[in-house]
Amino acid sequence: MNHKGGWALIKNTWQSWLQHRGFFFLLAFGWMLPLLVYLFIWSAAAGEGSLAGLTQESLAGYYLVLILVNQLTYSISNWTVGDNIRYGQINRWLLQPMSPLYHSLSSEIAGKVVFMLFSIPITALLAIIIQPRFNLTWSQGLLFIPAVLAAWALRFFWGYWLALLAFWATRADSLLALQDSFIFLFGGHLAPIALLPAWMRSIAQILPFRYMSAFPVEVLVGQLTTREILVGFAYQAGWTVVAFILYRLVWTRGVRHYEAIGG
Amino acid sequence: MNQPMIQVRNLTKNYTVPERAPGLGASIKSLVKPQFREVEAVKSIHLSIDTGEMVGLIGPNGAGKTTTLKMLSGLLYPTSGEATVAGFIPWKRQPDYLRRISMVMGNRSAMNWDIPPLDSFKVLSEIYRVPQQAYQQTLDELIALLDMEALLKKPVRNLSLGERMKCELVAGLLYQPDVMFLDEPTLGLDIAMQRRLRTFLKKYNDTHAVTVILTSHYMADVTALCPRVILIHHGELIYDGDLDTLAKSLAPFKLIKIQFASPIDNFSEFISQFSSVEELPSEQGHHVLRIPRQEIPQVTATLLEQFPVADLTVEDPPIEAVIDQIYEEGSV
Repeated sequence: MNHKGGWALIKNTWQSWLQHRGFFFLLAFGWMLPLLVYLFIWSAAAGEGSLAGLTQESLAGYYLVLILVNQLTYSISNWTVGDNIRYGQINRWLLQPMSPLYHSLSSEIAGKVVFMLFSIPITALLAIIIQPRFNLTWSQGLLFIPAVLAAWALRFFWGYWLALLAFWATRADSLLALQDSFIFLFGGHLAPIALLPAWMRSIAQILPFRYMSAFPVEVLVGQLTTREILVGFAYQAGWTVVAFILYRLVWTRGVRHYEAIGG
Repeated sequence: MNQPMIQVRNLTKNYTVPERAPGLGASIKSLVKPQFREVEAVKSIHLSIDTGEMVGLIGPNGAGKTTTLKMLSGLLYPTSGEATVAGFIPWKRQPDYLRRISMVMGNRSAMNWDIPPLDSFKVLSEIYRVPQQAYQQTLDELIALLDMEALLKKPVRNLSLGERMKCELVAGLLYQPDVMFLDEPTLGLDIAMQRRLRTFLKKYNDTHAVTVILTSHYMADVTALCPRVILIHHGELIYDGDLDTLAKSLAPFKLIKIQFASPIDNFSEFISQFSSVEELPSEQGHHVLRIPRQEIPQVTATLLEQFPVADLTVEDPPIEAVIDQIYEEGSV
């Protein structure tokens, strides 16, 4: 482990990303738009009443928090890893006496800071306009922190092992697009999980995608009972461990395969 | 006894490459049943390089030079054979090994393009765990040697190719590696910049005794830096030794360039009396003769005696011509 080198890399990546902040602000804005569209659709559908117990104000609260959580957990570096393998840029990482994972982690951390510089003010502005409402308790706030960290870890390592399949199939990045589609369906983007039909809800409970995005939001806005929170954490932890093991497996075999075929 | 810095035995690398005929039909067929072909990129090479040696690894495109360097730097796993570099097996890629070697590629950049070189150097010093004082000292030395003070604060993307190459060299030497693999470091650089980099490498090698393997298609790089050359062709090592000896054994001829004080009518007639002398197309008013080495004294004496000679030089054929001959024939 070489944490000092990793930290230097993070600072550097951050500086280099700030050079392109216009690009990243636009990217963050692009990620926001679909969620805003669904916010307005479901608010209109709820009207003066409520849908599965969710009123206009609570839907607004759900989606505004989801906008932030989605940007905190979305892993932009997964796409870069696939490209680096495809174009042989990974050689440079392999020659350094430090795990190449640090390069991805540094992009992650640097990226989050740059995205939040844009997203927090915009979300705050939206909150003033559309007046969300939810009961925020101390315990919800405290549980939200580990939930969002684990959601990031799960989403990152899940995407990472998929991206590493580029060692065998050069266009493995299509799997990342598929992951995004699953998050859209089962991760509370298209609709809060509570609004899904029963059969989709039970699938969403089991698959990892809810735990990559909707789960921390549900914890914070108080949609879950204590029991549901505990079960959710168990699923989230389990899937994160699975994702990490898959990453280790695919990495060790992938590098060996890459070395064997050249690049 | 001193252990050689680089020791290679029977090193072999085969690639499996997908292969298909052109056209849509063949591409659909290859989707269902892909065909592969085994290509031997490096065939059982042996070599041994001592500490501080500068060795030129030459050969035509596709000869296996880069594959060899990639195996020695740990990027590629060999199909068979052994290698140790600085006492390590390269393809285990242990951090302690990676800190002792450096690979600089003329066609790949190790720099972050968005930020000034100085920031990248700092990060590299952390990654390679160079103590602050040693870092500053090495950096100052390299900056002075490469005369690049002015470049340090510009983002890398705004640097010229030559300026960037200087940065790549600093990045590769910051942590004072014992072994350097230089893969075409002068690719695409102008003559002056090539010369400056050569001077730098020579000086650096003199003071630090770093072991260098250099590949280049510019023979001037090799002649200026590498007393010893290793020639690879079709993955096989076909020559390992002194560059001068190689040139002599390959080109048993020299060139005489001669200019006369006044026009000569019967020169061709004169030439025809020596069966082994050949007249080549003239260059800038000079007659050019190709003569076996051992006949040089006699022919030169006769020329000076019989003709009003204004200028006469005896030269070796250009090294490029010699190398081209090997590439064409495939053997030494």
